[in-house]
Amino acid sequence: MERSKQSHDNQADSRPTTNESSLNGHFDGLVKKDTRNVGCQGTGTAGESSSHTGSSVVENWKHERTRSIEDNEMSLPSLAAAYTTIIRGLGEDPQRQGLLKTPWRAATAMQFFTKGYQEKIIDVLNDAIFDEDHDEMVIVKDIDMFSMCEHHLVPIFGRVHIGYLPNKRVLGLSKLARIVEIYSRRLQVQERLTKQIAVAITEALQPAGVGVVIEATHMCMVMRGVQKMNSKTVTSTMLGVFREDPKTRDEFLTLIRN
Amino acid sequence: MNSHCNGTGKQLVTDFYYNNGFSEPSLETKKTTVQQRKQHETSGKDAEDESRLPALEAAYSSILRGLGEDTDRQGLLRTPLRAAKAMQFLTKGYHEDVYDILNDAIFDEDHDEIVIVKDIEMFSLCEHHLVPFFGRVHIGYLPNKKVVGLSKLARIVEMYSRRLQVQERLTKQIAMAISEALQPAGVAVVIEAAHMCMVMRGVQKMNSRTVTSCMLGVFREDPKTREEFLRLTKTA
Repeated sequence: MERSKQSHDNQADSRPTTNESSLNGHFDGLVKKDTRNVGCQGTGTAGESSSHTGSSVVENWKHERTRSIEDNEMSLPSLAAAYTTIIRGLGEDPQRQGLLKTPWRAATAMQFFTKGYQEKIIDVLNDAIFDEDHDEMVIVKDIDMFSMCEHHLVPIFGRVHIGYLPNKRVLGLSKLARIVEIYSRRLQVQERLTKQIAVAITEALQPAGVGVVIEATHMCMVMRGVQKMNSKTVTSTMLGVFREDPKTRDEFLTLIRN
Repeated sequence: MNSHCNGTGKQLVTDFYYNNGFSEPSLETKKTTVQQRKQHETSGKDAEDESRLPALEAAYSSILRGLGEDTDRQGLLRTPLRAAKAMQFLTKGYHEDVYDILNDAIFDEDHDEIVIVKDIEMFSLCEHHLVPFFGRVHIGYLPNKKVVGLSKLARIVEMYSRRLQVQERLTKQIAMAISEALQPAGVAVVIEAAHMCMVMRGVQKMNSRTVTSCMLGVFREDPKTREEFLRLTKTA
């Protein structure tokens, strides 16, 4: 909580359209403001002033700054140069055959791993919300997730389980997986990723409740540092009726267990 | 660097072998010299790492900016430093050599049956994309009057895997190192790994695994020996 409060303070005054605002942190700030607009009790951080109380959710998403294909092409040479420096700095010879084109490959790979910055939720969701008189839980589980740890730039991978209780509106099932893709293909922290997915679904559908559980392996803990091979990190976000009603939460957790 | 280290390792192992005959100096003096040399080398390597850190940090900062992130946000403030240190750790195999790793742990033993150490976890970096690949290594050898401390096999794996690697080369380097250190009747190394460059990007096949093997000596020539090794290392 402490950490997320601090980052919110940093973002409290930034407007969404400035170029200096960060991608992930910026959206974090927006998300905090929006959760107070929506009925669910999401984060519980009350007290900071919000300048966005009137605007709709869709408006906020339109203001998201995204990276474009042209941005990618323009930054590729500098990324490749940085990777060449890294290879040389590790004591390797960038001219040997196996490493000749590595800077370019590594730069393109890294851009792919952060392609979540190029996409907007609104583009993914716009058409696939349907009116349906269903009021039982909908779960999509075992969604493979690959992300990058923002502290060490090393992969995180695992599975995401999403459940929601529709309130007259359902979402195309693959769109849940696409939301996971957009938010996970970024420099992330697992806690923030979980919350962003849950809040995005909440804001898109206004369901009675949303539950998101992520179970992941962090290479920064497995390959280096404390080196615990079998450790997994589990985070969850429960919003709306999933948070208030223990039986609903139980049903969700039981159904994702198998 | 990879092939360079291979050459140096060979020379040192040969020297080690030659000096380990009956004409060696007293064990005590030999130990002291080895220790002193180790200490000197370790402090040298640490200093070398430290001196390269600023350049690595600057490179990582420029990568973060190039990806469109804000390097001043709280979560990313010290990321260049952490990422640079992480990368140095993941390539620490370049600083090690077989002689130091083996650490006198070669023993005379009249054993002539297969010795296998299997399911050794391995983490390496793909030299083409700088993305991890990880898996398990199974090593088997048929001793010829000399056996090696078991953990040393795992340490050899560590040393060669903590580099920018290609799985085929990694397998061969492990097999050659054991072969040259022990002169056994045969060595077999099998690696099964998942490549994140195939799983997280590109063709994106989640469950694919790459298996490579290197059979030397009697494991190559005698199919029955090879079969025994493969059967013993088969996971259920």
